[in-house]
Amino acid sequence: MTDSEFTVTQVAEQAALELVGKDLFFPNGLLGFPDDRRYRLSRFNTGASGESPFFILESMDHELSFPVIHPDLVALDYRVPVSPEILAGLDATTAADLVLFLIVTVRERVEDITINLQGPLIVNSASLIGIQFVIEEYPVRYALIRADSTK
Amino acid sequence: MLILSRRVGECVTIGNDIVVRVVSISGNQIRLGITAPREVRVLREEIFNAIQQENRAAANPPDSTRGLEDAYKRLRNKTPEHTDD
Repeated sequence: MTDSEFTVTQVAEQAALELVGKDLFFPNGLLGFPDDRRYRLSRFNTGASGESPFFILESMDHELSFPVIHPDLVALDYRVPVSPEILAGLDATTAADLVLFLIVTVRERVEDITINLQGPLIVNSASLIGIQFVIEEYPVRYALIRADSTK
Repeated sequence: MLILSRRVGECVTIGNDIVVRVVSISGNQIRLGITAPREVRVLREEIFNAIQQENRAAANPPDSTRGLEDAYKRLRNKTPEHTDD
């Protein structure tokens, strides 16, 4: 069964970077935003410290954008089961083409910023088709900065 | 709302290609079997609502630049590797 799943840590940052500037198509949109289907990915660059792990997914249909993170930076055991149906929906032949992003919910205090592990975005880097997948076992709000790392 | 009575094993069809079957009933819990084309997303309502709500909370963050920069600084500081540069 290892062929049908992959861990986020195996997703090369390069794969995410290669999607920057490309037009991505989400046939079903994101949950709650079914009318926004065309997106473009850009890298979020910080002013002082250079390149960051964050990207901005911006709708080309309306004024709508989501900060997303490249999941390699989130050290947790996170697995997305990739069924043949998902591969077919993404027009993909192999899970190796898939790139994961997690949506970041920015809140006022940095400690309150969360990432959505329950609804990851999966993009096929070959076909540029994306979906918001749902994995019920994972939390919808997971603290980006863990409490045990504040020292 | 259309309300239909069904027994265990009986089905309801929706459109041309969606079938909902009552698989079993145990107390106040009913198991449903749903057959639908793969492009039709089938979710428990509370899951659908939770992700939809979180997507809305994440959309168009008002001060994302500062928030993401702060988060990046914190994440960078707690990453011990890459000390050689």
